[in-house]
Amino acid sequence: MLSEFSAINGRSWGYWRLVALCAFLFAVGMGAFLAIEIFGHGITGMNNQVVWGMPHVFAISLLVMASGALNLGSMSTVFASIQFKQFTRFSAFLAIVLLAGGLTVLLLDLGRPERLLLPMLYMNFRSMFTWNVFLYSGFFVLCLLYLWSMFEYKQFTKVVGSAAFAWRVILTTGTGSIFGVVQARDVFHSAITGPMFVAVSLTSGTALSTIILVGTYRRTGRFMDERLVFGLRNALIFFTLLVGYLFVVEKFTKFYSPAFYNVEVWLFTGPWAWLYWFGVWGCCVVFPLMILFSGRMGNTVGGVLAASSLTVLGAFAFVGHVLLAGQSFPFDMFPGYQLSSVFMDGQDAVYSPALVEFLLGFGGIALSALLFLLGIKFFRLLPAKAVVPEGWDLPWSP
Amino acid sequence: MTMDRRTVLGLGGMLAAGVVLAPGMRLIAAPNDRTDASEKHRWAMLIDVNKCNPECTSCTQACRKENNVPLVGDPQRDIHWIRKVELHNKEGYGPDRSLPVMCNHCEHPPCVHVCPTQASFVRKDGIVLVDMHRCIGCRYCMIACPYKARSLVYSKPLVPPDANPRVPIRAKGVVEKCTFCVHRIDDGGEPACVEACRKEGEGGMLFGDLNDPKSEISIRVRQVQTTVIRADLGLKPRVRYQGI
Repeated sequence: MLSEFSAINGRSWGYWRLVALCAFLFAVGMGAFLAIEIFGHGITGMNNQVVWGMPHVFAISLLVMASGALNLGSMSTVFASIQFKQFTRFSAFLAIVLLAGGLTVLLLDLGRPERLLLPMLYMNFRSMFTWNVFLYSGFFVLCLLYLWSMFEYKQFTKVVGSAAFAWRVILTTGTGSIFGVVQARDVFHSAITGPMFVAVSLTSGTALSTIILVGTYRRTGRFMDERLVFGLRNALIFFTLLVGYLFVVEKFTKFYSPAFYNVEVWLFTGPWAWLYWFGVWGCCVVFPLMILFSGRMGNTVGGVLAASSLTVLGAFAFVGHVLLAGQSFPFDMFPGYQLSSVFMDGQDAVYSPALVEFLLGFGGIALSALLFLLGIKFFRLLPAKAVVPEGWDLPWSP
Repeated sequence: MTMDRRTVLGLGGMLAAGVVLAPGMRLIAAPNDRTDASEKHRWAMLIDVNKCNPECTSCTQACRKENNVPLVGDPQRDIHWIRKVELHNKEGYGPDRSLPVMCNHCEHPPCVHVCPTQASFVRKDGIVLVDMHRCIGCRYCMIACPYKARSLVYSKPLVPPDANPRVPIRAKGVVEKCTFCVHRIDDGGEPACVEACRKEGEGGMLFGDLNDPKSEISIRVRQVQTTVIRADLGLKPRVRYQGI
């Protein structure tokens, strides 16, 4: 099967147009970064109530999806799903490029990005950020080694692939724990926040991989057996059910305690309720499941792509909701009292994202896309024909 | 020189490994001069809410003047080292209250715990400070602080014409907060807000050393019922309140 790997031709006008578009969007993103760097975060929509805005939503969503992008590799290397073995190179490479895009946005949104090396020099091992510095760079290294072993030293693929799988679980738990460990914030302080991020990485990574795989094979005129897409659909169904389960458990636990009534009712009915119901529940769980379980749509590639697109959108919504609603709920410094001050105490925070934030975020996505486009042209990441192994068939369909 | 793709991947892997491992070779603790201060002292503040007049802002004004904290004219982005908070009981019990809120200089400060560069740190005398030269502006401390005591400098700072030369002018893109007027304390003085409250207000703010059993603050916290904000979090704040 490995001998069939080949880089794409990449000489068509359409390919270079796509590369140029991504390069342009990345350049615009860098322009947005420079504007923020020169004029300060005052030109963004962020303020002293909502200090992490859209760039963080983009960055963390990309990082969550980077972890999830390794799903195909893990399913093959760790869980012996032989039908996905042909996508392990693609999987590891996609994880790397998404990580690069996400980290770029995260770092460029710092108040003082020129001090980037300081976290490397003065480490605080109580900080989740410090742990994440190691987790992200370690994941990057492991994915590269995984990729390298697949190209050069196949005897190490199992070991490195297994290590990368374990690492990605820890990595995404670490990403979620950036929020979960913060005791001051009622919305996201929870032991289950980390696992919820892991579950969302499973859905979004699988969904994004499906979209990119189908897109790449169609655009390059290569053959891809539809049963592979439906295999991914089955995985997506289970991952989505896991996400829904964790969401329910989290809400059930919190609603059991009267201390959380205020914040939970606020989440259900407050200014971010639209994002919670439509984005988090709708796009993350309900709409994809409705499509995937529908006998008519769930058994078409178009239906799977639609559900996958909603899932990816849902991941952005989930991260956005954790961040933005989490920061918007006012601190309850004096329980039982209504607070007011010139510093907006007792009020829901107001946040309207500015254009530069979106441009920076899309710049990160464009960087990932650009690296991916160049990667599939210069490396043999995908099989010329994606076929199912002999004797393998879909175990079930909805 | 040409490199094949495998070499490129290998070199990329080694470079990434270097980036990961290099920092581990150079673990640098915060230099002593940042954290040094006498362990003999444990500075704290006691605020008697009964003496706090809702109309009085002498503490906040004194803080702005002492620490060169300008109002930038955007309420969402103004920097507040100390602010007056009005409290109204939701059930209608008791009178409304007005009190100043600032950095609580916690014994277990979450801002320090989450800071990835040790820019936020605790001096030996318990004062929580931010090293402006080490802050990377990640704002994680602002997420973690339950007292909303920190502000990001959102744009190029205004320099007041009568700026206090003893307090450095802030830099864009870093986070700042109340220092308990550390420069005054190190000279044997007290925070500007406390001084202003005594001179212009009703003397509701008291500052002192909890390690000195004869200090007024030590005597008061032994004699009267005091409380802290969000005691449930276990942070052991060093700003205590009387009368709420």
